[in-house]
Amino acid sequence: MSPRPRLDHVRRPELLAAAAAVIRRRGLENARVVDVADEAGTSAPSVLYYFASKAELLKEALTSVEKSFYQDLALELEAIASARDRLLRIVATCSGEGDYDAALWMELWARALSDPELAATRAELDGRWRLTIAEVVRYGQERGEFAAADPEEFAVLLACLLDGLSVQIALRDMEVTPARVRELALKLAERELGCELLEGARC
Amino acid sequence: MVRGADPRGPRVTGAAATERGARERILAAAVERIARDGIDEVRIARIAMDAGVSSSLVHYHFETREALLEQALEYSYELAGDVRLGPGGDAVELGSVRRLAAMIDQFLPYPGMLERDWILWVELWLRAVRHPEMRPTAARLYERMRAWFAEAIATGIERGELAPDADPDRTADRLLALADGYGVRVLFGDMEVDHARREIWAAVRDTLALPEQPPPAPLDPANPQG
Repeated sequence: MSPRPRLDHVRRPELLAAAAAVIRRRGLENARVVDVADEAGTSAPSVLYYFASKAELLKEALTSVEKSFYQDLALELEAIASARDRLLRIVATCSGEGDYDAALWMELWARALSDPELAATRAELDGRWRLTIAEVVRYGQERGEFAAADPEEFAVLLACLLDGLSVQIALRDMEVTPARVRELALKLAERELGCELLEGARC
Repeated sequence: MVRGADPRGPRVTGAAATERGARERILAAAVERIARDGIDEVRIARIAMDAGVSSSLVHYHFETREALLEQALEYSYELAGDVRLGPGGDAVELGSVRRLAAMIDQFLPYPGMLERDWILWVELWLRAVRHPEMRPTAARLYERMRAWFAEAIATGIERGELAPDADPDRTADRLLALADGYGVRVLFGDMEVDHARREIWAAVRDTLALPEQPPPAPLDPANPQG
């Protein structure tokens, strides 16, 4: 037990998580330092002790959420034996079945249009996303599950499709249900990778 | 600024016709500002200045900043939709293959007008995610575009120009999602717009029995008849 008050123990990761929660709830433009402090159970000055500015805090929060998403996904995929199931997992992540945070993702992408620093982060994270997909394709090809296809090209194709569909899911477009996203993505993958994904995936 | 302090305000609001003109000018100015500064940075005073009206007149037409920004996005997309859905980009006489290529081109961020539309499109996504009341607008715009693609595909199938077993709705979904996914990456400079159009083409080629390569891109995709 530490004799010191909790306040002194609040550290960057906690504050980043708190900031992410605030951005999720209020949107980037309406997130205030005092909200982050409340969320983390500390005061605004101690938040600003760890971050040079509100902008820095929010920016870092946004990117850290995205980064941990990819880290968690990578670990999860590694534990899945077949490439087919790995691909199904990737698709499920984007079809509203996982806990993927489309609102924060969109904040990052939209803000990146006018912020060079965020643009660099966006490029890095998008590269990581495509690499994740490409690695699953290569893994499947090694195991003889997938036909020959250019892993990088397929990764861009699937990422583009899933991103476009994610937007429509985030907008709660009634036409685009998680089931439909799944079907559209898996059909595309079946055709490009010459494998069966939809059949067994239904149960 | 004190509301109503600007002496130009009351005079401009005089005639109904002028009012409508002013409202459109404000919306057009807002669209330009959002595209240039990003929606979070937009200031009402700046929009008023661009539109050549007083801030009080802006407040007269749009109760809140939110209301103005949302209507500006909608205005931009109704306008873009009209251009896209107009006779130029949608000429059935083009034949289904060329018509489809022209439609895809109108969805991609070619430099200039379409690039500006695209930046607003991304702002609209974000706005709609944050503000549920904005979602019906976004959903309606998506629905319109989806119906447009699906109709073009269905017509192509009827005329025997596209694969008879293609599903117009599902293929329209795929086209729309790919246009968004590739479009935003073109906007970020990840790839050339020509690469994006070829990839999108390839992704529906077999389904629709399209030729190997898309027809050449128009010089001005926003205005395919020109």
